[in-house]
Parts: sequence; C-alpha cells; structure tokens
Amino acid sequence: MKLSKIFKNGIINENPIFVQLIGMCSVLAVTTSAKNGLAMGLAVTGVLICSNVVISLLRKVIPDKIRIPAFIVVIATFVTIVEMFMKAYTQDLYNELGIFIPLIVVNCIILARAEAFASKNNVLASAVDGLGMGLGYTLALLILGSLREILGAGSIFGKALFGPNFEPALIFIMPPGAFILLGILIAIFNSIRKKKESTTEA
Amino acid sequence: MNETLKLALILFLITAISATVLAVSNNITAPRIAEADKLKDKQAKIEILPEGKEFRPLDENKLNEIKTNFDNVLEIFEAYNGNDLVGYTIKTVVNGYGGEIEFLTGISTEGKIMGIKILNHGETPGLGDNATKPAFTESFKNRSVDGEITASKNPSGDLEVQALTSATRTTNAILDGVNIARQIYNEELAK
Repeated sequence: MKLSKIFKNGIINENPIFVQLIGMCSVLAVTTSAKNGLAMGLAVTGVLICSNVVISLLRKVIPDKIRIPAFIVVIATFVTIVEMFMKAYTQDLYNELGIFIPLIVVNCIILARAEAFASKNNVLASAVDGLGMGLGYTLALLILGSLREILGAGSIFGKALFGPNFEPALIFIMPPGAFILLGILIAIFNSIRKKKESTTEA
Repeated sequence: MNETLKLALILFLITAISATVLAVSNNITAPRIAEADKLKDKQAKIEILPEGKEFRPLDENKLNEIKTNFDNVLEIFEAYNGNDLVGYTIKTVVNGYGGEIEFLTGISTEGKIMGIKILNHGETPGLGDNATKPAFTESFKNRSVDGEITASKNPSGDLEVQALTSATRTTNAILDGVNIARQIYNEELAK
C-alpha cells in the first residue's frame, strides 16, 4: 500500500472518530473548547506514532499469545512519558485535560492500530499510519471543540467572538451538546464521503 | 525451553525495558515538576496578596488550634514585606458541584480581602469552572471582612460579589470558603 494512501486513510476514509467511531468517551469529555480538543488530539497523535513504531519494530519478537499485554505495556509507557512531560512543561494544559491524559492508555484507537496495522506492517508504514490516524482524530476533536466553544461560550481559543449581549447556548458546553453536535458532524462527514465514493465509482 | 517460561521471559524483558525508560524520563521531569509546583504555589500567593514578598507558614500549634474549630482549613501562611506582617493567605477546601474545591483567600492586616485563587476543582467546564476567571475572582477584591459576603447577579454594596451564571452551587461553595477565611481572620488572626 502506498504511504500517501495510508495517510489519507487515517484522515478521511477510516477517520477514527467520524467513520470508525472508536475512542468516543474522551472525545465527548474533553472537547469543551478548541484548545482542549487540539491539545488532546496532539497528545494522542504523539502516543500513537511512538507506539506504532515500537510495536512494528517488535512485531517479530512478540509472540502471538502475549501480544495484547505486550502492546499495553508499550502504550502505557508512552502515555506515562507524555504525562510526565506535559506536567513538567505545560502544567496549565495538563490540569485542564486532567484524567484524560492517563486514560489515553485505554483509548481503543491506539490498541486498535497496534493490533490491526503496526503488528503486520513495517516501521515506516506504521509511523505514517499513526500520523494519519492521529491527525484524523485531532481534526475531529478540533472541529467538535471549536463548534462547542463558539456555540456554547461565544468564543474561539478563548477569544470572545461576539459582543457582550450575545447569550451563548450553554447546552453545547454540557455533555448533551457534545452528543448532539457529534451526531450531526458524523452525519455530514459520512454523507460527503458517500457522495465522493459514488462519483469515483461511476 | 518450556514455552510458558519463554513467554514470561519475553514479557518480563519488555516490562523491564519500559521501566528503565520511565525511570529515565522521571529523572528528567521530576525536578521540573517540583519546581513548577513550587513556583505556582508562590505565584498564587503573590497574586492574591501582592504586598507580600515572603510567605512563612503560620505557627504549627496555632494552626492546629484553628483547625479544631474550622475543619475546612488546610494551610495558613503569613505574608511579610521586610519585617512587616502585611497579611495572611488561607487555604480552604469546600464542597462544590463537582467535588472538592481547594482555594486560597488573601486577607490583608487592614482587614480587607485582597483576592482569591482557585487551585484545584472539578467543576463543570464552561459553567462552574468560570469561578477561576477574573470576572468572578476580581469581584472579591477589597471587600471588608466585617460582614458576611453574599453573591448576586447585579452586585451592589460592599458585601455583595458577582454570582456565577448557572453555577449557584459553585458560587455558594466559594462564598463558604471566603466566609470561613474571614471568620478565622476576625476570631483568630487579628487578635
């Protein structure tokens, strides 16, 4: 498979959020603002690339029977490293994302890519797959976070967009707003994707 | 070789390597984290009591005595500018909407609340967590410690502060803490 195709696969054809619908729990929880969505996306991308590379390197060493515990150890190691460095250098951001950083360990996207891709492909392809999937995830979180912040707080990246008389729709900051917007986004994304598919086939 | 033993050995090797990597990165980041925590702590104190140049913990016996009367108190620091005592920072923990809220109240020796700073909380993003923003915290500045502080949407008078929209429980929790700090100042510290 060509690298560009692997990359595009992660962002569009098999976008982890809009198409595969995996790892939704943290997506719904952290996207209260554009900044949080972006930061979480980048943290996951970093972990995904690193774990994909290492698991791809070790794919011939790790016996099939113990591959899951081995994958989890590798993933947990990288998540802990990311956590330590975020705590040391970007503490405010770390405080905002809180529990969801350690929970990247159990984010199914990462284990899914390890199992479905990295354990069967070479290092370069695995790194590109991690980057593509990570950016696809980041893109989804950024869109959702931006929309929720604009509608629910009247601002973007913390900057107020409207005058002081604007009354934001608080529901979009709350959990129900996350579900509603995510549903709408998935519908839009897939209808565009389907249309493109049918035109290329024809 | 026995297969089970071989599997265990491989898994052991992987975990051993990962433990080593973690130990190294912990060594790199631990001093930075401790330093950042310490700096943040001092900055929080300066933010709410800008006159203070040096912060010393309150005498331990006295603190324990205060703690028996007010169990929400965690820490009290005296703020000095040179040799002059200029105020106190009082750390309290109160129950908000999403769990405990830990925050600092700064009170000057003139009997004025100089500011509040929220340190840890689990309030609803976009609603209760607006308590950490200046629009809310600034409204506590320069309030007198003589009477109970209350909140209102349209604050008027010396003892009313800005209430948070759709976050009454959070507002009340912070008010509780501030009023406890006020009481401690009046009953224990200003004597």
